[in-house]
Amino acid sequence: MKFLLAIAVELVAMFAGDSRLTIGVLAIVATAGLLIGVAGFEPLTGASLLFVGCLILLIDNVRRFAASR
Amino acid sequence: MLTWSTAAPAIAAAFLASLVEVVEAFTIVLAAATLRGWRPAALGTAAGLCLLAGVVLLLGPVLDGIPIQALQLAIGVLLLLFGMSWLRKASLRAAGVIPLHDEDAIFATEADHLGEAAQRRGKSLDWVAGMTALKAVVLEGLEVVFIIIAIGAGHGLLLPASAGALAACVLVLGLGAIIHRPLSRVPENMLKFGVGVMLSAFGVFWIGEGLGAAWPGADLALFPIAALWLAAALLGAALARKAAVEIAT
Repeated sequence: MKFLLAIAVELVAMFAGDSRLTIGVLAIVATAGLLIGVAGFEPLTGASLLFVGCLILLIDNVRRFAASR
Repeated sequence: MLTWSTAAPAIAAAFLASLVEVVEAFTIVLAAATLRGWRPAALGTAAGLCLLAGVVLLLGPVLDGIPIQALQLAIGVLLLLFGMSWLRKASLRAAGVIPLHDEDAIFATEADHLGEAAQRRGKSLDWVAGMTALKAVVLEGLEVVFIIIAIGAGHGLLLPASAGALAACVLVLGLGAIIHRPLSRVPENMLKFGVGVMLSAFGVFWIGEGLGAAWPGADLALFPIAALWLAAALLGAALARKAAVEIAT
């Protein structure tokens, strides 16, 4: 039972190690999906915005974490 | 038709990610072997590898049956979360904000824990050593299994990705068998940077394709995307270092 629990914890930690980063990525992906599906953006434009958003999110997340220590 | 421009990043990502994880698992297996000899540690390791191989063989073909665009989107999001998490940690470690992984310290701690665990639970040392090795291989191997399945599923890359992971296993176990010490000189953080960059690049690329985008240059777009991820991670590390210095002064 403990072993299965350890596997479950490991699986969650793989994708959601930092909640701010996880929520940020999911919000960006959802926004890109809405821009393409609802607002009628070109898929490549939506995907490029998603990429730029994720780059900014990573830089900001790392900087904020270091500043809060 | 499998091309090198598609297969090479998949093999490299699986190889490098496996290298990081296998080194971590090897440290714990070595601690178990030091305590009780190689037999229980090897049995635990073999059982763990069989379990992981079973997961790949079971899940790989199942995912092949899911519509490609939905699969690309779902796997792309998971790869992006996983890759960015590695990049975040690698940037913070490079900036000195969180400590680097120390295989020698982990080895010493694990060896202490093993002896205590055997006494506390009243089980034989062979059993504790074998189970410790099994647990280490399965837990560290889960990330490798995810990478193999994520990169391989739906793109006919299961075999190249598995080959990359297997090559890393053979390399680490071969080196470990020769030197009989934790592989503390492996530049783990640099490898984490590389893997984080590749996985994040695959993630963005597949989410884009899942959303219907046709990337300029097709598969070759992976390379500039990866270069931009690397630049962002290095910039993040530089800013984090600056922020840490400002707080310290």
